Amino acid sequence: MNHPLAFVIAVAHIAAVIALLNGILTVFGQAKVASQAIESIARQPEAADSIRSTMFIAFALCETSGIYGLLIAIIILFANPLINTLINFLG
Amino acid sequence: MDLNIKNLWVINIGGVEVWITETIFNTWIIMLLLIVIAVIARIKMRSFDEIPKGFQNLAEAAVEIFDKFARDTVGEKLSYIAPWFFMVFAYILTSSLLSVAGLRAPTADWATTFALSLVTFVLMIAMGLRHRKGEYLKSFFSPHPIFFPLNLLGELAKPISLSFRLFGNMLSGTILLTLYYALTPIFVQIGIPSLLHGVFDVAFGALQTYIFVIISLMYIRGAAD
Repeated sequence: MNHPLAFVIAVAHIAAVIALLNGILTVFGQAKVASQAIESIARQPEAADSIRSTMFIAFALCETSGIYGLLIAIIILFANPLINTLINFLG
Repeated sequence: MDLNIKNLWVINIGGVEVWITETIFNTWIIMLLLIVIAVIARIKMRSFDEIPKGFQNLAEAAVEIFDKFARDTVGEKLSYIAPWFFMVFAYILTSSLLSVAGLRAPTADWATTFALSLVTFVLMIAMGLRHRKGEYLKSFFSPHPIFFPLNLLGELAKPISLSFRLFGNMLSGTILLTLYYALTPIFVQIGIPSLLHGVFDVAFGALQTYIFVIISLMYIRGAAD
């Protein structure tokens, strides 16, 4: 921790992990969709095709928040604007 | 290990620098591929018979399946936009299959996916104005004029969420495979990556293509119906 940049990079990695934690809730949402879809396919096997396509759309919509977290983590790790600010500040 | 999009050439057109990046070059490869397939299909169309077989069977099945899918999703009235989305489907699927060949997928660049979803956004507004006219504009002020900023934000979020979904999926696959190739010794780089390519490029690529097209069609139906 002698150099401020080392501290900033360490904090950035921790922040990326926190941004990825929303995957937990995303997976819970998707699990609910999948369990309901399996239940309705078991109840009405003749409607399986339309239920399956609806399930994939619902998966994609649930996945959006997880993708946002992933992109935030990628931005923090690879394209962090604050590191340039810090380098300019340190001179 | 390099995760950035490489810049191949810089062309100077009248004092304006135009950067030809890897994305643009790979898009040209896909365009060439699709145009060649289209020209072959057009030439072969002259000798099409009443009873399809071989190539004709494949081409007719592709068009018919997509037409039926679009008609089921978007309704009979709007089914004339199906050809555009067939093109989008072919383009996104080919671009995610391109990364199997070791080239960077153009959809792993936000510019590409945002351009595609911006077309969906413009189509959505145009279809809403064409089929519902004033009623579409009135839907921004429902249920009460006080909700106008909220409705506007909801509409503006659509192309962004649509583009980020595809971009995030393709970029995560690209990053994982780049990391795998950079961090593992050379003897596990033969054969085993095909499994990863199968999951991240072929399976996720096909699923995300389907989802991009079906959600675009649902947005357009929501605006126009």
